[in-house]
Amino acid sequence: MRAEGIFGEAVDRIGGEPISARMARKAPVRHLDLTLLVVTLLLSAFGALMIYSATVHQQTAAGIDPYLRKQLVYMVVGFVVLLLVAVFDYRYLRTFAAFIYGGIILGLLIVLSPIGSTQLGATRWIDLGSFQVQPSELAKIGIIITLAAYLAERKGEVRARDVAVCCAMVAVPAALIFLEPDLGTALVFVAILATLFLVAGAKIRHFIALAVVGLVVIVGSLHFGLVKQYQIDRFTAFLNPRPDVRSIGYNLTQAKIAIASGGIHGKGLEGKNTQTSLNFVPEQHTDFIFTAVGEQLGFLGSATLLGLFALLIWRALRIATMSRDPFGTLLACGIVALWAFQIFVNVGMTMGIMPITGIPLPFISFGGSSLITNFASIGFLLNVHMRRFL
Amino acid sequence: MVKGSGSSPQRQTSLGIDRMTLRIAVLGVLVIAAFVTLFSRLWFLQILATDQYRALAKENRVRTVYSEPPRGRILDRNGTPLVVNKESIAVTIDRDTLQRPALRYHVFKRLSHLLGIKLKDLRYNAKSTGTSPYKPVPVAYDVHERDASTILENREDYPGVGVEPLPVRDYPAGALAAQDLGYVGEISLLDLKSSQFKGAHPAYAAGDIVGKLGVERTYDRYLRGRPGIERVVVNALGEPTQTRRVQSERSGPDLVLSLDAKTQRETQRALKSGIQAARNAGFSAPAGSAVVMDPRNGQILAMASLPTYDPKIAADGLSKKEFDRLGQATPNNPDDDAILNRPIQAAANPGSTFKVVTAGAAMATGVATPYSTLDCPGTITIPPKGGPGSVLYHDWTLADLGVMGFPESLEVSCDTFYYQLGYDMQTRFGVKGTEYWSGDKTDVPSGRELFQRYARTAGLGNPTGVDLPYENGGVVPDQQWCHEQYLATKNTPAPTCQYGWLPGYTVNMSIGQGDMRTTPLQMAVTYAAIANGGTVWAPKIGMSLERQQQDGTVKTLREFKPKAVAHLPLNSTELGVITQGLGEVISNPNGTAYSAFQGFPLSKYPIVGKTGTAQIGTSVFNDSWFISYGPTPDPRYVIAVYVQKAGHGGESAAPIARQIWESILGIDKNPTVTLGQDQSG
Repeated sequence: MRAEGIFGEAVDRIGGEPISARMARKAPVRHLDLTLLVVTLLLSAFGALMIYSATVHQQTAAGIDPYLRKQLVYMVVGFVVLLLVAVFDYRYLRTFAAFIYGGIILGLLIVLSPIGSTQLGATRWIDLGSFQVQPSELAKIGIIITLAAYLAERKGEVRARDVAVCCAMVAVPAALIFLEPDLGTALVFVAILATLFLVAGAKIRHFIALAVVGLVVIVGSLHFGLVKQYQIDRFTAFLNPRPDVRSIGYNLTQAKIAIASGGIHGKGLEGKNTQTSLNFVPEQHTDFIFTAVGEQLGFLGSATLLGLFALLIWRALRIATMSRDPFGTLLACGIVALWAFQIFVNVGMTMGIMPITGIPLPFISFGGSSLITNFASIGFLLNVHMRRFL
Repeated sequence: MVKGSGSSPQRQTSLGIDRMTLRIAVLGVLVIAAFVTLFSRLWFLQILATDQYRALAKENRVRTVYSEPPRGRILDRNGTPLVVNKESIAVTIDRDTLQRPALRYHVFKRLSHLLGIKLKDLRYNAKSTGTSPYKPVPVAYDVHERDASTILENREDYPGVGVEPLPVRDYPAGALAAQDLGYVGEISLLDLKSSQFKGAHPAYAAGDIVGKLGVERTYDRYLRGRPGIERVVVNALGEPTQTRRVQSERSGPDLVLSLDAKTQRETQRALKSGIQAARNAGFSAPAGSAVVMDPRNGQILAMASLPTYDPKIAADGLSKKEFDRLGQATPNNPDDDAILNRPIQAAANPGSTFKVVTAGAAMATGVATPYSTLDCPGTITIPPKGGPGSVLYHDWTLADLGVMGFPESLEVSCDTFYYQLGYDMQTRFGVKGTEYWSGDKTDVPSGRELFQRYARTAGLGNPTGVDLPYENGGVVPDQQWCHEQYLATKNTPAPTCQYGWLPGYTVNMSIGQGDMRTTPLQMAVTYAAIANGGTVWAPKIGMSLERQQQDGTVKTLREFKPKAVAHLPLNSTELGVITQGLGEVISNPNGTAYSAFQGFPLSKYPIVGKTGTAQIGTSVFNDSWFISYGPTPDPRYVIAVYVQKAGHGGESAAPIARQIWESILGIDKNPTVTLGQDQSG
């Protein structure tokens, strides 16, 4: 192959290397992060198995477990999304950041409009016939892109005005999500914002100011009753769980029993996994999926899962450092924040060291929007990784 | 951040990246901290705390379910059913509903309307809860089947309301021996700790229906049968997923009592009729007891206690309200207590019926011989030589009845005769003052207080050991008792036994007064020992356990035989003079029960007995006793009758006993009692 046109005459070598060879060397597909891809597939397979084990005993009709079937469909859709996200150059995203942001706000507004669908007392979904979309999940990756695009422009010089703008950008979707109500997801946004401030180069004084503002907001919302008493009770239940069935402490007690009774080797997927198979843990295929891991696979399985997560985050951090531009770095760090926060809060919740919030465990919990968001995140990471030389 | 003006673009970039790498490293450290936290917690739960949580997981899912088998029936000695089982429909409300005031009110209102029960009563029943925190609370019993199906068909209108078949007791023989049979009810916390129920296998648990009183209680371990035990694995909704039978259910065997239903009925009727006659004659006569016992083997044939109740009201246990109605509402006045089993629980001064014990003790200790004679003056000074501290004791009559032997002393019930015997025993074997008190203990040597020792041998002062709960042992007062009373009352203005044992105590005791207290059953045992040649029985009302086999035959599983607990230290001559005296009480015109037994065919059925008239300090009425046995020379029955505040022994108690005798012997069809005449003390 010969390079012509704007390069002028017969420039077929750069630094002694034939251009064709150079282009082939730098071709994105040759720099695919295979480790990340394998970890992703392992995690989602792990999740599918756990969803199956947590729901199979509830099923009465013959045939494949409907939860497993749905999750497998989500995985396929997620993988397609991953490919779509990975093929184009992520840098174009900056151009669309404003549209993405608008899309998020629109989606969240639709949820709160009468069209939104309500389950278990929370309005979080848009019903699209055969499936439901949870815009707050998609908003997570959306806000990462928006913030990364904005902060990348600052080139390491974050001013007080930028901090204020970013806070305002996050406050709108976070407030909408808080109204659903979904305190946990709203907090994910805060974690992403704080992480991106850190990586983008906000000053210590900015953090201090933010902490003060945050404190004022918390005290104010408690004082003016913006936060309901049941939310406070739920949030603080882990400090002193009451095991009776009607209290939130019941979930927690049963979750701890499930995990701890698994022991080193776990009770296996058949027969002895009584906490799981006899439905003692509520919401086990979604928010409390880690209890199914703990009981059935024991310490070995749980530690393996945490190990896979550590690997995932290590790869993401590695990509953040390898990115050739701040946008890619910030994008990867936002994704790190998204996962690390969700993993810590979710797993911590099931083990009784974090408050009970409705935050799913990435790749493991049942749920399409969450899984697709996570696959898209992988797509972005692969994208940044592949194009680090271009 | 990058300020170096002369540096190249590459340098700028690399410096910027360096700063960013540093910040990413900070993020990395935070992530590592989070993971280390999760790993430590996971280690703690799954490695260190596993055992504890495994136990909790098991507790979660395994429920042990006990099923209560049909309770054994209770039959009389001839196989007549006294207590059987019947199914009754109870309406229950679960505890969850009861704990929510608004819902509870709504449910009560509907039930009240449907069942025609007052709201107040429903509330009351709901409050008288048992001990099991899991079982729903029954609020209405004996509900009509139609109402039960209304509830079942309209579940949503009756949230938390259940319908349960409740096995209850039924009494086909009617109101017979209510206090002896007892009743069943939910086990109390106190019961659970009592020796009656502790250590049983399988263990009793809160919520169990057990015998609360009477033979239902004593024989509960047999009657309850063997509960079925199932281990059920349940899911989070409490729905069973797996069941393993640990023990199959087995109904309780039938308990055969030594009671004879016919004798029991007639004894009750005679007692009731006699008490009525006493009341008609102006006595207060609030309560009475009658015992019919076989002196040959210690079996109780009839035991009646008045006032009584229809056991039907206790078929499903007794509620607090029913308890109160049966006389428990006035604890200071036990006279109207229908639950009290007076023959074994009400101890009182035996009065002159005790004289056979004094006579026996005098002969056994050598103070007298069967042929001894003593004077029977109207009054007597004790000590006889007079002096300071001497007391003048009265006979029940002022007349001097002259010199007499044991038989005549019993016949006319001469008090002064027995005062002398009592005083003789006091001087030879008695203790005085605070002798043998050492600190808080009493240490009387074995050769002393032989009078009391004889009384105990004769079955007094301790529970007889009858197979019924809560027996009263009565009191045989002695130095130790005196000391104990003193220790208990020493801080009061007038302590009991302030000066220790006084000779007057022994003198009073010799005619069954003072602090001497016995139950009617104890007196029956004492007289039975005289009747049967000296054997003191621990009487029994339970006779055997039997089970109907599938082929219709009845198999006896176990027999309960009364035990001989002591033997009177008297020979046949000594016993003979006592029996002779007791015979003259009835047959001799001077006898205190002569009038009561006038016209009785004594030649055909020689009955002997003794009247007792106990003076009670606070009442104008005396307690009336009559203990008899016969027909001699080989007595088959001992009959003890005690009527509270009903005059002399020969007036009320003896005519009742005569009526019972006539019924047992089948010689009189007129079941009413006519009072007799008796002036003795």
